[in-house]
Amino acid sequence: MIRFDRRLLQHFDWIILIWLALIATMCLMNLYSAIYPDKPPGTPVYIKQLYYFIMGMGLVLAIISVDYRLFMAWNYPMYGLICLLLLYALIMGKTLSGAQRWINLGFFNLQPSEPAKLMLVITLASYYSRKDTGKGFTLMELAIPITLTLVPFLLILKQPDLGTALMLGFIFVSMTLFVKLKWQTLSILLGTCASLVPIAWKFILKPYQRQRIETFLNPEADPLKTGYHIMQSKIAVGSGLFSGKGYLEGTQGHLDFLPERHTDFAFSIWAEEFGFIGSSLFLFIYFFLILWGLNSAVSSRDKFGTLLSIGVVSLIFWQAFINLAMVMGMLPVVGMPLPLFSYGGSSLITTMAGIGILISVRMRRYQVPG
Amino acid sequence: MPRIRRAVEKIHKIDEEELIVLKKRVEIATIVIIVFIALLVARLWFLQIKNGEEYVKLSENNRIRIQQTQAPRGNILDRFGRVIITNRPYFNLLWTKEDAPNPDEVTKRLSQILNEDISNLLTSIREAAGQPRYMPILIKEDIDWKTLVYIENHHLELPGVRVEAVPSRDYLYGNMASHLIGYLGQISKTELEALKYNKYQGGDPIGKMGIEKIFENELRGEKGFRYLEVDVLGFEQQVLQHQDPMPGNDLQLTLDIDLQNTAEKAMEGIAGAAVAMDVNTGKLLAIASAPSLKLDEFIGGISTRVWQELLNDPLHTLVDKSVQGQYPPGSTYKIITALAGLSEKVINPQTTFYCNGGLHMYNRRYGCWKKSGHGAISLQRALSESCDVYFYQVGQKVGVDRLAAYAESLGLGKKTGIELEHEKPGLVPTSAWKKMKKNEKWQDGETLSVAIGQGFNLATPLQICRMTAAIVNGGKLYKPQIIEAIKDPDGSTMKKIEPKLLGKVNGSAQDREFIVRGLIDAVNTRHGTATSAKMENIIVGGKTGTAQVVRMAKFKSIPESQLPRKYKDHAWFTCFAPAEKPEIAVTVLVEHSGHGGSVAAPIAKQILEMYFKEKNGDAPTP
Repeated sequence: MIRFDRRLLQHFDWIILIWLALIATMCLMNLYSAIYPDKPPGTPVYIKQLYYFIMGMGLVLAIISVDYRLFMAWNYPMYGLICLLLLYALIMGKTLSGAQRWINLGFFNLQPSEPAKLMLVITLASYYSRKDTGKGFTLMELAIPITLTLVPFLLILKQPDLGTALMLGFIFVSMTLFVKLKWQTLSILLGTCASLVPIAWKFILKPYQRQRIETFLNPEADPLKTGYHIMQSKIAVGSGLFSGKGYLEGTQGHLDFLPERHTDFAFSIWAEEFGFIGSSLFLFIYFFLILWGLNSAVSSRDKFGTLLSIGVVSLIFWQAFINLAMVMGMLPVVGMPLPLFSYGGSSLITTMAGIGILISVRMRRYQVPG
Repeated sequence: MPRIRRAVEKIHKIDEEELIVLKKRVEIATIVIIVFIALLVARLWFLQIKNGEEYVKLSENNRIRIQQTQAPRGNILDRFGRVIITNRPYFNLLWTKEDAPNPDEVTKRLSQILNEDISNLLTSIREAAGQPRYMPILIKEDIDWKTLVYIENHHLELPGVRVEAVPSRDYLYGNMASHLIGYLGQISKTELEALKYNKYQGGDPIGKMGIEKIFENELRGEKGFRYLEVDVLGFEQQVLQHQDPMPGNDLQLTLDIDLQNTAEKAMEGIAGAAVAMDVNTGKLLAIASAPSLKLDEFIGGISTRVWQELLNDPLHTLVDKSVQGQYPPGSTYKIITALAGLSEKVINPQTTFYCNGGLHMYNRRYGCWKKSGHGAISLQRALSESCDVYFYQVGQKVGVDRLAAYAESLGLGKKTGIELEHEKPGLVPTSAWKKMKKNEKWQDGETLSVAIGQGFNLATPLQICRMTAAIVNGGKLYKPQIIEAIKDPDGSTMKKIEPKLLGKVNGSAQDREFIVRGLIDAVNTRHGTATSAKMENIIVGGKTGTAQVVRMAKFKSIPESQLPRKYKDHAWFTCFAPAEKPEIAVTVLVEHSGHGGSVAAPIAKQILEMYFKEKNGDAPTP
């Protein structure tokens, strides 16, 4: 189908791979500390996460071995499949802390909302790359991409998983802004959103979600219930000081004061144990990977590749930013993992798949289809 | 793949200029991302450098603990609402080891105060390893008043040590119904893992046996909690939030304390079981297994020594003999043989056989217990005097498989379904069973043994009691019922358990009536085998039984009284009263004690006497 080209290997992006390994090491190290010194029954999370990294690597290899332009051809069937999976999870899914997000695959609990994010990136990239982006879009031209976003958005919101649903919104906005809108389109959209906020507050948000936002605005009023997470996380991060308490020496996390410490709040363990200097280094390494991903956008030979890269980067970037801002008490708790760093198979594998796409686009920068 | 190629070609028909414009926008995206990173770093600086010291203080001082309060467990009541088991406060010694700067020192002090070997303390501390840190460890349950006062006065020298008043079980009637009710123990690690998503924690009590275990969810209640702000030493600063515990539900049993007590007293010093059942509902009025368990040995964990003793106990104290003991039913089985004979029309009530002390059949002699023989004997007299030869004849004519059908319709060979653990099904042999189990053909002679309850048959005392009830209550087989009602802590009934009819006994009411006459004669005529159960004002009907333990020839010559205990036969007696309108069935089994008439029947009689005494206006003891 596609001839193997030696240039593919020549143009393979080794830096992104090295960086990935670096982040994976930090992640596993941090997970080890997160559950230390408890010995919960079963396989420890850091071992499971290692398996997920290996599975993710397999997926990266699979993705880079096919031409990314294939995704454009297969876009709609894949999109339909993901929407069906979301619907299935909603109806039949396994409930974890009150939300129906999981499909049990036997060896693995799949959270279809994770691949849905990547699917939306592919779908929008494919749609926009077929359109003329020179003059900017009108509202009418946006009807189709809005619908494409809205279907999975509503299915995920219903689970309810506000964080992931918002993420779809962020992807849509980032990619649409990137392809350029007409000014009047932009202002209409902004106006609609602004007027939707009070309606959403009243009718769409679940009581616990409203409460989260309320406590975020005033966390000290309710230190034990929802504000608890933010308070404890801020205490963990803040008490790290300049150089941190030392690896495995953190007190907040290990005293069980810190909830969800191996998933959404993984970074607060890191910040507590390695302090300002370690956290800054972490941010540098982490965001270098994201910025490096933009290289793929620049080097692509076609619009689809550029838009795809932009979408993947925005997907990882927004999740990371929202998660870190939440952990540091700048945003309310929304249930958003830190990609590649929080424990969780679905998120990790989806992120790795995204990185696979970035590598694939960059590898094929000189390839002309034949 | 023309489709893919078409798609790919389409992409490449794009305007090169458009691509250049898009790529320029990547620069804008880069700047946006860098701005956001700067924002994060600034926040990091704000938290860790600018306000860091404040958070350090918070992390050290502002520790929030969750303290749980045990809920009072539901009471266990008898059928009249009399309390059998309630709660009283126990003072438990807890230690949060992480609060002690020098744990070894505290361990040493505790071992002195409690006068306990330090290695025992270390074991319980090690047991607790793996539970979350800052979770108090249960060091000792139910400490005495003196120790309590001492610890309260010296708490500054014992950092992290705390005394907690916990509602615990108060056994108002000592070991009464100990097998049935069971006991509580500290939740084990395996139980904790299995119940992960429930509200249990290390150190919590949980039912380990009997009713306490089976109805754990009803009895448990909801724990209360308090969120405490504590200082570095673990001392309480303030309660931030609390919720009171919700007491568990009360469990009203069908048991009658007086009957249960009578049964247990009557069986003191022997091994056996006694079951009393309301024949018209299947409700159990008494269900006792002797010897009883000493519940105080189980509180706070049973010691290895006591456990070993119990395991090797010749009286098998741990076994609940009423539902877990399986014995050959002996002559009580003649009720079934008689019913089968009548229903299958191989005999009629007038049929007589001749007993000369034995029966020669299949090339050997099958003896009657009465060596001199009963002479010409009818069904009614054969039941009353328990003539073996009569029932050999009936059994031989009916055949083993038809016998089995009647035994099964009377509830033998299958668990009764009572909500107790490890119930045994007993055994009703058939030719197919023998073929399957031993791969041997059924021998005709074995049918004769089965007909008098001595072959492969096995039954539990509960099964025999229910069988008796079914014979006299119009042929109705009930599920034995132990729970009368579940009541909420205010005392109002939440759920009433209704009797459950499981089936109908084979055979007609008339056939059962003939059998009942024989059973009445057994107690009330001069030659009956159960005259020791005869009561003054009330007519009792019953059947004795002797379950042979060994059939070796060398013991045949030795008189029963001189045999070693473990070779002695088990004694059965099953009965009902009053004969004209039966209300209660009582079954007694005494292990290794000889004949049913002399040992088991007097025990059953005492239970019946208490039942009628209570019924005739002598109010139940409060």
